[in-house]
Amino acid sequence: MESTGDDPASARPATASGPPFGAPSPSPAPGLGARLRRDLRIGVKAGLQTFWELARVMIPAYGLTLVLERLGVIEWLAHLARPLMSVLGLPGDAAVPLMVGYVLNIYAAVGSMQALHLSAQQITVLAIAILIGHNLLVEGAVLHKAGMNGFAFGALRVVAGLAAAAVANLLMGLF
Amino acid sequence: MADLLRTFVTGSLDLLLRVFLIVVPIMVVLELFEGTKAFRAVVRAWARVVRHVGLNERSAAPTLIGFLFGLAYGGGVIVRDIRRHDLGRRQVFIMSTFLSMVHAIAEDSLVFIALGASVFWVVAYRIVWAALVTLALTAVATLVVRRRKA
Repeated sequence: MESTGDDPASARPATASGPPFGAPSPSPAPGLGARLRRDLRIGVKAGLQTFWELARVMIPAYGLTLVLERLGVIEWLAHLARPLMSVLGLPGDAAVPLMVGYVLNIYAAVGSMQALHLSAQQITVLAIAILIGHNLLVEGAVLHKAGMNGFAFGALRVVAGLAAAAVANLLMGLF
Repeated sequence: MADLLRTFVTGSLDLLLRVFLIVVPIMVVLELFEGTKAFRAVVRAWARVVRHVGLNERSAAPTLIGFLFGLAYGGGVIVRDIRRHDLGRRQVFIMSTFLSMVHAIAEDSLVFIALGASVFWVVAYRIVWAALVTLALTAVATLVVRRRKA
């Protein structure tokens, strides 16, 4: 309703009674109701803008994820990663929930973990790897939106997650 | 093929709805409370913690949102704050690294704790690991940037 413009900073009236330009606090203070309405409007606008920006990168990434899943990429990756699992003290089958986590998300990973018979320590070790690396395409798209390299961060999460799991497995063996 | 398309449409709508229902309220709440004393006190307290991984006070709010609610939501606030303030590439890099290692601390951890994973390892150990990885990578990135400039 108010016609003060979109940017809160530029909406500050530069009257003689007001603060000098660049003063930190936005006074003369408008009424509480007006301020709430203004903040609400800016918040909704920022929310919608962010929602749109995230949606624009997340939905294509999600589509790609589904296609990869359909093409059997998860099984193929799990097959490749099988030998690696023993380093983490895990059975070869544990590669499946790990890859499900990488490509899909933690809920899908937990679902496929339930099909395995893992010890408490194995559950914890696998949980660490998946908690650090999961949903790599969609979350990589978000990092890309923030100006970072989504692929590099995906690789980082895989490597650092496996390393964290391996170290945890070693430490748990000591105590 | 038709069922793949159906999964894509329903899955996308589900994803959009979830992002919408979290992002818009977060942004509204941030806008309403960002200026209040209580909010600033919380952010300052958090800033004192994340200062140790190289984050400044401006980066504290997006990092806190990501840490609590998830990478996508934290990323949203990061994008907003890149637009509003000049966060700087170094700060965005540190935030991204830290949040890559640990985010949605309650929701994600609880999923595995419910399955029987140890709270100590999936929460405390992971936070410490995230801090160490962040410090190490920031040091490496600093060296790379310096060498490139030289």
